[in-house]
Amino acid sequence: MRNARLNRPTVRGSAHAARRSCGKVKMFLMATRETLAVCAGKAAMWASRRAGLGAGSNLPGKVALHLLPDLPRRIASRLPEGCALISGTNGKTTTANLLAHFFSLLGERPIHNRVGANLVTGITAAMVEDCDLRGRPRGRRGLFEVDEATLPKAVELLKPRLVTITNLYRDQLDRYGELETLASRMRGALATLDREAVLLLNADDPLVSTLGEDSQAQVVYFGIEDPRRQGEGIRHAADSKYCRQCGAHLEFLQVHFSHMGKYRCPACGAERPSPEIAALEVELEGARGSRVRLSLMGRELEVDYPLPGLYNVHNLLASAGAAYLLGIEPEVIAQGVESYRTVFGRGESFSLRGRRLFLVLSKNPTGFNEVIRTVKREGTSLPLLLALNDRIADGRDVSWIWDVDFEELASAARFVVATGTRAEDMALRMKYAGLKREAITVERDLRKALLQAVDRAGEGETVYALTTYTATLDIRRMLSRMGVAEQIWENARRKGA
Amino acid sequence: MKSDMTDKEEVRPTLRILHLYPDLMNIYGDRGNVIALVRRCQWRNIPVLVNELNLGDEVDLSSYDLFFIGGGQDREQTLVCEDLRQRGEELRRAVEQGAALLSVCGGYQLLGREFVTWKGEVLPGIALFDMRTEGGEKRFIGNVAVRSRLDGVSGTLVGFENHSGRTWLGPGAKPLGKVIWGYGNNGEDGTEGCVYKAALGTYLHGSLLPKNPHLADWLILHGLCHRYKVEGLDPLDDELEWKAHEAALKRTQAEGSLGARITTFLRG
Repeated sequence: MRNARLNRPTVRGSAHAARRSCGKVKMFLMATRETLAVCAGKAAMWASRRAGLGAGSNLPGKVALHLLPDLPRRIASRLPEGCALISGTNGKTTTANLLAHFFSLLGERPIHNRVGANLVTGITAAMVEDCDLRGRPRGRRGLFEVDEATLPKAVELLKPRLVTITNLYRDQLDRYGELETLASRMRGALATLDREAVLLLNADDPLVSTLGEDSQAQVVYFGIEDPRRQGEGIRHAADSKYCRQCGAHLEFLQVHFSHMGKYRCPACGAERPSPEIAALEVELEGARGSRVRLSLMGRELEVDYPLPGLYNVHNLLASAGAAYLLGIEPEVIAQGVESYRTVFGRGESFSLRGRRLFLVLSKNPTGFNEVIRTVKREGTSLPLLLALNDRIADGRDVSWIWDVDFEELASAARFVVATGTRAEDMALRMKYAGLKREAITVERDLRKALLQAVDRAGEGETVYALTTYTATLDIRRMLSRMGVAEQIWENARRKGA
Repeated sequence: MKSDMTDKEEVRPTLRILHLYPDLMNIYGDRGNVIALVRRCQWRNIPVLVNELNLGDEVDLSSYDLFFIGGGQDREQTLVCEDLRQRGEELRRAVEQGAALLSVCGGYQLLGREFVTWKGEVLPGIALFDMRTEGGEKRFIGNVAVRSRLDGVSGTLVGFENHSGRTWLGPGAKPLGKVIWGYGNNGEDGTEGCVYKAALGTYLHGSLLPKNPHLADWLILHGLCHRYKVEGLDPLDDELEWKAHEAALKRTQAEGSLGARITTFLRG
C-alpha cells in the first residue's frame, strides 16, 4: 500500500500556461493587481496588529480577497509541494499543528493558518503573510485547517494533494444548516479531486467514512483498532446513526465515544472500512496523555502521546497518517509526537497565584463530553471555570450546552464560576444539572471570573477551565498580559529546542 | 402545592411526561426542555415520570399528561411523520381532553396540516394546529424575542431560531405570540408559534424552557390539571432563570443594532 504515498511533486504548469496565453499588457496588469492585493493585505496585517485588533488573522485576507478574489488560487499554484487540507468538526487545529510540527523537525516551514482562522479569509491571510510582494510563497507547501463549510471553496481554490477529514459532529448548525446537507456538500467537493490526490478519512465515523464515495482520489482510512477501548455507547449527543446506503439503523459492535466506533448495517451489510492507519493499542493515562502503538500502513511504532483522551488519538492518527502519506518517515513522526507541545488552550496548564490552571477548549457536545470524562478522573471536588461565548466563531446558538452531560460534571464539582457572553446560560445549565445554587457564581467579566476561581481554589490546587473558542483566545491573551502565558511558552520552547 | 383530591385517598398528583421520538427529534439541545420540566417538578416534590416513545412503539397516549416533541433534520422528520400519522387521532384526543403539549421547530411543523419541503415533497401533518408550512430558500437564523399572552397573562419569551420552513396559521389558529425581534413563523406576519388549548408549537429553542420558567410552569400546571384538581404551583427561586432570560433579551436587542453589525464585520 506504500504506493498511496505521494510521489515527489513536480511544479504545476497551469499558472505558466495561463500566463503565456495572456497578452503582455494583460499580464502586466494582472501582476500589478496581484502585487497590489498582496501589499494591501500585508498593510492590513501590520495595521491591525498595531491597532491591537488581535493577531490580524482575518482582516488582511479580507482586504486582499477584495482586491483579487483569485489570489489564493494563484499563490497555491506556485507551491512546489502543493497543499494539504485538514477539515472536520473537532481536532482540526490539533491535527494541523501536529503535522506542521513534523515538518518543522525536517527544517521545513509550510504556509500554515496557525491561529485557527480557517475560512478562506484566514487561509488567504496566512498566504499573504508568507509570500513576497509578487505573490511568490516562501514555503514549499501549504498546510491548512479548513472549516467544514468552507471545504468546497478551499478544494476549488487550492487543488489540494491531500485532504484529511477528522470527524463530523453537530457543531455550529446555526451556520451550516444540517449535518447531512453539510456532508453531501463535502462529498461533492471531494468528488472534484483528481486521481493523484489522497483522501485520508476517519473509518470510525460512519458519516466521514463515506465521504470519498464519488471521488477519484485514492482513499486511505484511519481508525482505532484496540478492542479494549469500549466507550459508553451511543447517547443523545450522537449524530450519525443511519446507513448511508440504505437508511437502516446502524449496528455498533464497538463504540469508542459518541458515534465513533465499529459499525455495520444489518440491512445491507455495509460496514466500517478497515483502517490502514491504525491505533492498535491505546493505554489512556488521564490528563497526562496516552501510550499508543500505531500502524502506518503496516509500519508499526510506539509513542508516548502527550494529549489526553481517546478523542485526541484520532487527531494523532490523522496527523501521523497524513505525514506518512506526504513522505515523512515513521521515525520522524514518532519523534514529533513525543516532542509535541500543546497549542493554544487545547489542554494547557499554567501556574497562577500558587494554583494551577488547566485550560481546555470545549466547543461542542462531543468535545465537551470527552473533556468532562477526562477531567472527572482528576477528583470529586473540583474548582471549575466554565466560559460560554456566543460570538460568530463560537456559534451564536448556545442550545448545544443542553446536549452536554453536565450532570456528570456537577457531581464532580465543588464550585463553578460561570462566565462569558452567555454566562447566565452556563450557570443555569449547571443548576439544572444538579449543582446547588450556592456553588454557582455568575461573573460575566472573564478576567474577574478567572481570578475569582483561582482565589477560591486551595493553595496548589488545580482549577479546570473549560472554555469555548473565543473565550479560550481571550483567556490566553489575558494570561499573556499578566505575564503568565509567555513564561510557559518560553519554557516550552526551551524544552522543545 | 394546593390540591383537593376528589378521592378520599391520599393520591399525590403525578406528572406523566411522554417524550416523543427523543432519538430522532433532538437537535439544538431540545432535551433541555425535558430536563427543565423534570427539575421544576422535583424541586416542588411533585412526582414526575418521563417515558420515551420511539418509532413503532406501542404506547397508550391517554395515560400521559404532557407531551414533548423536538426538532429534527429532514430525514428524521420524514421517518417521524409516517409514525406520527398513525397516532394523530390519539394525540389530538389527548389534547382535546386537556393534556399539555410542547412542540419545537421540526416537531411543530409536523403538527400542522401539511409541510411542503423545499424539494416539493409533501409531508402530511396530524392537523392538531390549523396551519401549513412551506420550505423556503433562506434559513431564518438568530436570537428571537417574543411577546406572548397565555391565559391572559402577558410576558416575553426568548430563544434561538434556525429554520427554513415558513409556517402560515389558518383562521382557526392562534399564535403563541408576536415577534419583538427575529423572524418567527414566517418572517412576514409577525406571528410566532401556535396555541391550541394546552398545546403549544414554537420555533424557539435555546433550550426554551429553562430560560422561560413561566412557560415551563404553565405546561406543568396544565399537565397536572388535566387529571387532578390543582390550583397553582408553589413558587421557586427563579433568580438565575430570569437573569438568563434578561440576558438573552438584551442580547437579541443588541444584535439588531447597527453598531453590532459593524463590529461583527470587523471582527471577521
